[in-house]
Amino acid sequence: MTNVFLKGIEKRFGSVEVIRGVDLQIDDGEFVVFVGPSGCGKSTLLRLISGLEHISAGDIYIGDRLVNEVQPAQRGVAMVFQSYALYPHLTVRDNMGFGLKVRKVPPAERQRRIGEAAATLKLDALLDRYPRELSGGQRQRVAIGRAIVGHPDVFLFDEPLSNLDAELRVHMRSEIAALHKRLATTMIYVTHDQIEAMTLADKIVVLRDGRVEQVGSPRTLYENPANIFVAQFIGSPKMNVLPADAAPLLAALPATPPSAESVGVRPEHLTVVSPGEGVLRGEVTLCEYTGAVTLLHVALDGGHDCLVIYDEREMPGVGSVIGLRAEGQNLHFFNQHGQAILASAHST
Amino acid sequence: MTQRQIRILYRTCWTIALLIVAIPFMFPFVWMVSAGFKSTTEIFGAPTLIPRVWRWQNFIEVFTYQPFARQYFNSLYIAILVTVLTLIISSLAGYALARMRFAGAGLLMLFLISALMVPEEVTIIPNFFLIRSMGLVDTHWPLILLPVFGPQGVMATFLMRQYFLALPKELEDAGKMDGLSRFGVWWRIALPMSRPAIAAVAIITFLSSWNLFLEPLIFLSSLEMFTLPLALSNFNDSYGLPLWNLQLAATTLAVVPILIVYLIAQRQIIESFALSGVKG
Amino acid sequence: MEAWLFVSPSAIGFLIFFLGPLCAVVYFSMTEWNLLTQQAAFVGLANFKNALLENPDFWHVVRNSVIFALGLVPLNMALALTLALALSRPFFGVVFFRTVFFAPVVTSAIAWAIVWKFLLQGEGGFINQMLAIVGISGPNWLREPNWAMAAVIVTRVIKMVGLNMILYIAALQAIPRDYEAAARLEGASRWQIFRMIIWPLLAPTTLIIMVITTIGSFKVFDHIYQMTGGGPENGTLVLAFYIYQQGFKFFNIGYASALAMIMFVIVMMLTIVQVMLRRKGAE
Ligand SMILES: Nc1ncnc2c1ncn2[C@@H]1O[C@H](COP(=O)(O)OP(=O)(O)O)[C@@H](O)[C@H]1O
Ligand SMILES: [Mg+2]
Repeated sequence: MTNVFLKGIEKRFGSVEVIRGVDLQIDDGEFVVFVGPSGCGKSTLLRLISGLEHISAGDIYIGDRLVNEVQPAQRGVAMVFQSYALYPHLTVRDNMGFGLKVRKVPPAERQRRIGEAAATLKLDALLDRYPRELSGGQRQRVAIGRAIVGHPDVFLFDEPLSNLDAELRVHMRSEIAALHKRLATTMIYVTHDQIEAMTLADKIVVLRDGRVEQVGSPRTLYENPANIFVAQFIGSPKMNVLPADAAPLLAALPATPPSAESVGVRPEHLTVVSPGEGVLRGEVTLCEYTGAVTLLHVALDGGHDCLVIYDEREMPGVGSVIGLRAEGQNLHFFNQHGQAILASAHST
Repeated sequence: MTQRQIRILYRTCWTIALLIVAIPFMFPFVWMVSAGFKSTTEIFGAPTLIPRVWRWQNFIEVFTYQPFARQYFNSLYIAILVTVLTLIISSLAGYALARMRFAGAGLLMLFLISALMVPEEVTIIPNFFLIRSMGLVDTHWPLILLPVFGPQGVMATFLMRQYFLALPKELEDAGKMDGLSRFGVWWRIALPMSRPAIAAVAIITFLSSWNLFLEPLIFLSSLEMFTLPLALSNFNDSYGLPLWNLQLAATTLAVVPILIVYLIAQRQIIESFALSGVKG
Repeated sequence: MEAWLFVSPSAIGFLIFFLGPLCAVVYFSMTEWNLLTQQAAFVGLANFKNALLENPDFWHVVRNSVIFALGLVPLNMALALTLALALSRPFFGVVFFRTVFFAPVVTSAIAWAIVWKFLLQGEGGFINQMLAIVGISGPNWLREPNWAMAAVIVTRVIKMVGLNMILYIAALQAIPRDYEAAARLEGASRWQIFRMIIWPLLAPTTLIIMVITTIGSFKVFDHIYQMTGGGPENGTLVLAFYIYQQGFKFFNIGYASALAMIMFVIVMMLTIVQVMLRRKGAE
């Protein structure tokens, strides 16, 4: 049973507060993804869990053991680094076996585990090569292999795919997902790429400026974002946020919640209609044809800009005036602090 | 003339000019070897590049005039010892200065930088009294201790530090995750990855110890303790005039092995000096 | 604390063999030593007064050191830059030339000086025999003060120029080739490219090399010890050699320490100039 429990974690570098009170419960076998914009503290939080950084305040439990003062190698965690961090002077085999050797695992057992990991990751043929003789994807696999051989209770990944090209990234993403399925070990994964987060995670933790903005399944985050930040961070292209008085023009609603300051609607939930009375009107300023769909940039009458995903064959010309509609259940209302007004999601 | 011919002519002129400039760089070595084989009379006669009579005898007399073999060995073992000690001490300190935070780090850096700039002539007088009070005059200790902890050692420390700073930090984190101590990270990850810096420090330290002169001159008095440069400057007759053929034969013996190593590893050696110079 | 385990060997040795002696030399410079009793008497600034105001030797030595530096530094740098420009691009023989020009750097200064002293003898010296062939009667190089100074400077330049050449080559190779290509497309001549692009880009390197070479020229000892012994008529007696002579030949410990302090100040000032120039270059 390896759950991870963070209680009131804080981290300061000198006077700079990087993590400002994080509470988090991660269950055994769960795949948890930390997302957030660059510099929000994702890596730092991961390094705090690994023990590479020392927490300034709070408690970390791994498998119900308080590990605040435990050395990284004794925490039962393994880490896959963004740069892979393979030792350039050691072969693939020695890279994978290094940690075991340091922990004085007997050679026979060591070779067995390396063989096992190599088979899992299809690295058998590469064991005697040096890291510089490997391609990016192979290095990535070695980095994962090195983590596997220690049989850790928790895997930590820090943006492991960000140095790969787009195609390989999609491929490795599915390999990591398969690995999780097979090992069923707790995994904590850091990324700034929300697609990676959505596809891999059982549970996503959205971070901003060292604080947790929302924790939930990918679906929860997409359908019920807790605030404008999460709403706009999850989903691509990002959610349009308009003044609340645009809501009645978009959908027939019993009532706009009185405290609503703004209304959010995702580009994929807008449909184009003729610009009649009582609908949201705007002028098309740009059409971006991507093949499957077209991205319309619309300048609304009120002066706001709005993105629409349009999947009809007929395209409105630039400069034409169109109307926009949405379904009531796809509108998200936010108060003046940008917090979601929950009732609205269910009122139609 | 075609463009091509003009280019070839241009190249040729340049190469000839460079060859002429190269003469004073190469010729002393050639003449040194040649004169080392000559008799005293031939040395002062009309110049001959190839000795008329090869006087191998010179190279035997070098060893009888002074305990030259012993002196040769002194230079060699001192240079090796200084190199090894410098490598250990400078890479330890360089690693701490690059990667660890500790009280006094800033102050230490400041002092080390100042040590880098102060010529050894400035501190040699107090150091003489210090060494004398330790009873180490006419031993090899000052020739080992002063360079290891002097400007040369500090330069090595900075070179190592600079190199460690540029190593990817994640590799050391990976080492910690694998269970290494601080010391283990230094020994098993940082050092193996720093081969170019280690080679540079080793080469420069070895050469500067091999060529060290002021300290031997001041601290050594018995012939058996002499190192090569001091021994070379000591081939004089009873009037204090140089015994040219013996002196040049001895110089040949001292210089040629270094030159051979240099010719084999010239790329590495030149790069080492460039590395230390760019930094310093 | 762990960190101090790493730095302590270095720090302790440094305290004993550098910081301590550095403080001691300040004290020594204000004392007068009695050789018989081995006692030091405090005399304040008398040694400095002696050097700066009373002893004519001192200013003679300073003059020699300055002449040495003024001769050596420009010659060394001009030659280093010329060679670097010739050798910064690959061509047939480039490795040979680099190896040759750098070879004296790895050679001991004593060995180098021995050979040159041999070549530069007045009668029967190789150089003069060569000159005689073209009908020139060469001087007795190392026996006449001015010629001796010139000889020491030139042989020192040949010994050390390789080091600066390598630094210049590294700097030249760091200049993107595109600059030159762009300038050439705009019709610049080789000289214009050097004058308007390469030389300005080399400025930081030039400044650093200049200061390092100048400091180095004040520290020259072994070369002069072996070639001229400071002579003739003290014509090549420079500061480093003078300190050695006063301290270890004549045992004027106090006076020699004062000289060491003066050398320290000179080198410090040069270093501060270097740091300031470097700062300015970084802006
Ligand atoms: N060792 C450190 N010292 C000082 N500041 C740091 C250190 N590590 C990270 N930071 C700062 O903490 C913030 C969060 O960094 P990080 O966790 O790496 O963000 P990311 O979410 O992009 O991974 C950044 O502003 C970074 O500058
Ligand atoms: Mg990060």
